[in-house]
Amino acid sequence: MRALGWAYMTAIFIFIFLPVVVLVLFSFQDSRLPVPPFDGPTLKWYAEVLADRGMMEALRNSLVVALISASAALLLGFFAAQGLARVRLPGSILMRGLLIAPMTVSYLIIALGLLTVFNTLGFRPSLWTTGIGHVVINLPLCFAILFAAMGDHQKNAERAARDLGASDMQVLFLVTAPMLKPALLAAFFLSVTFSWDEFIIAFLLTRFDVTLPVEIWSMLRSGLSPATNAIGSLVFLVSIVILILLELIVFRKSKS
Amino acid sequence: MTANVSLQSVSHSFGSFQALNDINLEFSAGEFVVLLGPSGCGKSTLLFILGGFLTPTSGQVLIGGRDMSRVAAKDRPTTTVFQDYALFPHMTLRDNVAFGLRMRGLGKAKRCLKADEILDLVGLVDKASRKPHELSGGQRQRVALARALAVEPEVLLLDEPLGALDLKLRRQMQEELKAIQRKIGTTFVHVTHDQEEAMAIADRIAVMNHGKVEHAAPPEEVYLRPKTLFSANFMGDLNMIPERFMGRPAGANIVHAARPENIGTSGDISLGDATLEDAAFFGTYHRCHFRAADADRTAYVAHLPVGALPQIGEAVPLYASKPLTLGTEV
Amino acid sequence: MTMERQEKQRSFGFVAPALIWTCAFFIVPFVVMLLLSLAHLEGREIVQSFDLGNYVKIFTEPSLLKGIFVSLEITLTVTVISVLLAWPLAWIIATQVPERYQRLAIMLAVLPFWTSYVVRSYAWALVLGQNGVVMQSLIGIGILDEPIQIMATRGATVIGFVHFFVMLLTLTIYSNLIQLSPNYARAAADLGANGWNTFRLVILPLTLPGIMTGAFLTFVLCIGDYITPQILGGNNELTMPQLIMLQLGRRGDFPMASALSVVLMVLVTLAYAASSRWLKMERV
Repeated sequence: MRALGWAYMTAIFIFIFLPVVVLVLFSFQDSRLPVPPFDGPTLKWYAEVLADRGMMEALRNSLVVALISASAALLLGFFAAQGLARVRLPGSILMRGLLIAPMTVSYLIIALGLLTVFNTLGFRPSLWTTGIGHVVINLPLCFAILFAAMGDHQKNAERAARDLGASDMQVLFLVTAPMLKPALLAAFFLSVTFSWDEFIIAFLLTRFDVTLPVEIWSMLRSGLSPATNAIGSLVFLVSIVILILLELIVFRKSKS
Repeated sequence: MTANVSLQSVSHSFGSFQALNDINLEFSAGEFVVLLGPSGCGKSTLLFILGGFLTPTSGQVLIGGRDMSRVAAKDRPTTTVFQDYALFPHMTLRDNVAFGLRMRGLGKAKRCLKADEILDLVGLVDKASRKPHELSGGQRQRVALARALAVEPEVLLLDEPLGALDLKLRRQMQEELKAIQRKIGTTFVHVTHDQEEAMAIADRIAVMNHGKVEHAAPPEEVYLRPKTLFSANFMGDLNMIPERFMGRPAGANIVHAARPENIGTSGDISLGDATLEDAAFFGTYHRCHFRAADADRTAYVAHLPVGALPQIGEAVPLYASKPLTLGTEV
Repeated sequence: MTMERQEKQRSFGFVAPALIWTCAFFIVPFVVMLLLSLAHLEGREIVQSFDLGNYVKIFTEPSLLKGIFVSLEITLTVTVISVLLAWPLAWIIATQVPERYQRLAIMLAVLPFWTSYVVRSYAWALVLGQNGVVMQSLIGIGILDEPIQIMATRGATVIGFVHFFVMLLTLTIYSNLIQLSPNYARAAADLGANGWNTFRLVILPLTLPGIMTGAFLTFVLCIGDYITPQILGGNNELTMPQLIMLQLGRRGDFPMASALSVVLMVLVTLAYAASSRWLKMERV
């Protein structure tokens, strides 16, 4: 039974890791096609990608959009969670539902809706419109995480702070936010990664300045190339670094 | 259904931690046994070994004379009431209680009838179609009891079953448990860290500490004639009597002590003069804190009869009677 | 009373920005899309006609109607396979792996989650291609004589999706499993249940919330995804997102794209209704 379990786990792990291993391995491929046999290693594709100005600009755009949209989503979500967790408002279930709703709608539909509205209003597709779209998809996430993290324990601490003369904003930034730090960081980093990796909204709502996934997409159209493996591996590396930082900063601290 | 239980040199370790160290105990059929001790003393481990959830590292478990050491939980004549009750949340009370009967292949009509009978015994038959989350803590506890009893075990194991209840409900449930045990005659093995609970329900108490049994005897004996310092301390307040007052040299690892009700202004052993520092009224006695007037400044707690209270700050001659002779090691 | 009202007003002030944002950039676009789905295209001009022409077309024109079935078939296949693969993995991690390595095991199980979504599909295209690792190894060990076509078939789309959703479902089912008291399994065994009955009657029902939450997320994300079928499935059969993108790209037919989107949303809503009694969305 135990051996069977380990065999199963190994098999699934191979399945899960197969594409990642192939991706990273053939980013070091020497010849022009990222398929067996492996004839590397070489770093020339990384050099090529890092020297590609369009690619680097897309990377910068992605980072900027991710950071700004994640901050906006976090702020909006934090205030909303605070407002709804503190007192029972009339229609608070409805408001909660409304805030969560975008989570259940395909990104494609959100993108299409925004595209039609922006078209109607005459807004040009840009990084800004993409950012707006990313706030729409990340706001429910931030709200849900923070709302779930707000408990009685913290409500009592807020009450105590107000009792001792703190103003609303002081309570929020001196008591609530520090107490919710792990949840805030988790929500922020998740939003950053989701925005950073998001394709369809960025594809429909950008035109000249594009984000990284869109740039990679247009690279795919010219066929298989180890350069795509290289940029894919780089993106993976960045995400892993963020993940490890998150693990070290947020979860280690919250444990102690 | 009932059976006797025999534990023979049972030891258990988790890695390098010795949870149980050479346990030897005999429970008679139909006895209400309480395993009493502080958390981490091994009492729950012992219960899990009885239930078949752990296999002892060494030693034997006999139930009704049969060796059960290697028998799986599902094939043992024991059932357990878990600390968190472990009621199946997706099943009604009736289905919960009938679960064991279902596993034994009893038809639906028969097992529901039986389940309702047992639910009636614990006073919840009118809620048989409810789900566990609709019940109060005390009611859940009863359902857990009913579910474990439905399969008519020879030995019922209870793992701190009253731990989650408030004090008043706890005392009430203790009486009910005792009454149910008397009625069905099954051997009960009950784990708790509450010595008052142990005194209230047990036919026999096994006081445990650091994986060993310090003393196993009826409640009166464990309280009045404890064998070890640990069990004496765990069963109630204790005053250590300095050896020089005992008039004879103490042996190795032996100390003398007296319960607060055996300290007073008269008695067999003089403790010298002591000053009353503080007192509180408990209805049937005054609980008094004395401090010896000599160089040792020994502290004593005494329960003095109502109306016999000295002034605070007054020095009176203090006496001990019925001293206990206690071993400091098992 | 006035204190309470003040408090409520202030709380409402906190919620308002998020509500306004959601209304402006989610509800309004949705309403606009709904109205647009009732319009039609004349030449390159959008003419509002308030009729159901687009919807009639979706359900009568075979190429569009087929898209609904292709999407539903792929999504349901993916959801079922992913649950069947993920449950045992989550269970093994939760019960067989020593506790202090569990966090590591789960992090490893979802690690490829953090590759770019586009890149992940591309990587599967590499793996499953005619000259890819899988075909080459199968030929190498003599199972196949020549490569078979997987890329640009539904099979490739399903594999790509299953890969992603096994990770997601393992996570939701695992977090459900570790919240269960070990005493449930003990109690079942204690009352005479064998392994199969303990699983069937106790553990499986107790993990239904985790399964249904994950399955619903799988359904939503899978049925609305454009990239995976586009990269792996090719153009032999088109899913609804592919059809929507086709309307936008080729002809700029926003009304038809909107109508298809509305149909897609209705499907998701139906899936939500079917699984809602087990869902705990706040916990996601």
